[in-house]
Amino acid sequence: MPAGPGPLASLALMLYPPAWRERYGDEVRALLEEAGSGPATVASLAVRAVPAWVNPPRHLHDRESRMRASVGTVLVAWSVLTGVGAVFVQLTQLQGFRAPGHPLVQWCYLVFDAALAISVLTAAAGGVPLWLQMIRIARAQRRRRELAWLWMAVLVPAGYLALALIAMTVVHDPEASGSWWFAGFAILGFGAAGLASAGPAVALKRLAPGGPAVAVAAAAAGLAAATVALAGLASAIAAAGLCLWTTSFAGYHHADLAWVYLLIVVAIAATATISAGRGIRATFAIPAR
Amino acid sequence: MANRLDRWADPPLLVLASLADEPKHGYAIIRDVSETMGVRLTAGTLYAVIARLEAVGLIEPLASADRRRPYQITAAGRAALAEQSARMGQVASLAQARLGERYGWAGT
Repeated sequence: MPAGPGPLASLALMLYPPAWRERYGDEVRALLEEAGSGPATVASLAVRAVPAWVNPPRHLHDRESRMRASVGTVLVAWSVLTGVGAVFVQLTQLQGFRAPGHPLVQWCYLVFDAALAISVLTAAAGGVPLWLQMIRIARAQRRRRELAWLWMAVLVPAGYLALALIAMTVVHDPEASGSWWFAGFAILGFGAAGLASAGPAVALKRLAPGGPAVAVAAAAAGLAAATVALAGLASAIAAAGLCLWTTSFAGYHHADLAWVYLLIVVAIAATATISAGRGIRATFAIPAR
Repeated sequence: MANRLDRWADPPLLVLASLADEPKHGYAIIRDVSETMGVRLTAGTLYAVIARLEAVGLIEPLASADRRRPYQITAAGRAALAEQSARMGQVASLAQARLGERYGWAGT
């Protein structure tokens, strides 16, 4: 009985895309059992996983599967970024914060508003037809669980808004409750956004719809990701400008928070953009031989 | 035989050259390249190369009863290898001639 490839090498292999592992995983394990898996081998495997994701070999390229994966990833990332954007609007624009003598902040607000509006419209235009197609598939195949996942996109935001309305009715003066009130609702909102987007993403994976709706959704996901990333960049510049040029804003003027915000926005926007780019490439790729 | 220029060795060319005489599986390719060409390929590099060469049709997998799937060079792979090795031969001849003229190098 040959020894296995070793825990670190197995971990490095897990870094590869599923299609790559399915095609070459057993061969590489067999090779590692014969050749050994020292630190150089593990490092080489880990490093080579990056191009396997970024530029996968064409014969491993399942276009529709790639498009579906991109749409799901972008949907979740986009929802969270939009939630971050809503928090930004609440903390800055809605409270009338400006940086007198620095029109850059005002320009960033405008770019943010326009980019976010385009992003929302694009996401709706590309996502709704695919969502309706999945509803039809799930109903025709009597897939109750998938139907439930799909309806989460509507029910969770509706529930969140209803809860917010009730809370605002019960608590007449939320500002008197301090920043924890706002932070609580913001965190709850991120949870709701995550759930509302994860539902259709799971249904997308399980129902595996095909056809033009997937291609349209993948292309729309690309544009939505690019515009929401632009909105994120504008909001980050505006937040940095407010930190630099105003003595306080929104009552939460902490440089640490601004850095955390910046890191979150950059990380999620990068995830969305990379995944969207791969989806777009799959959308317009010539089918493999 | 290994020297400091190994890091710039062209792994796709080494794999094609290794497969030029007979089909081989991954470990056999690594051993052949190490023993005959003096370059140590790692598993990550080898399978990145195999995936690319297979994608462009320069090598193809053969059926295998176990997990060690052998690969063979295709007609397109042989043509690419012949073209590239001819070019390398020209470079090698030129380098040796110039080393001989300038430094009296007579080869090893």
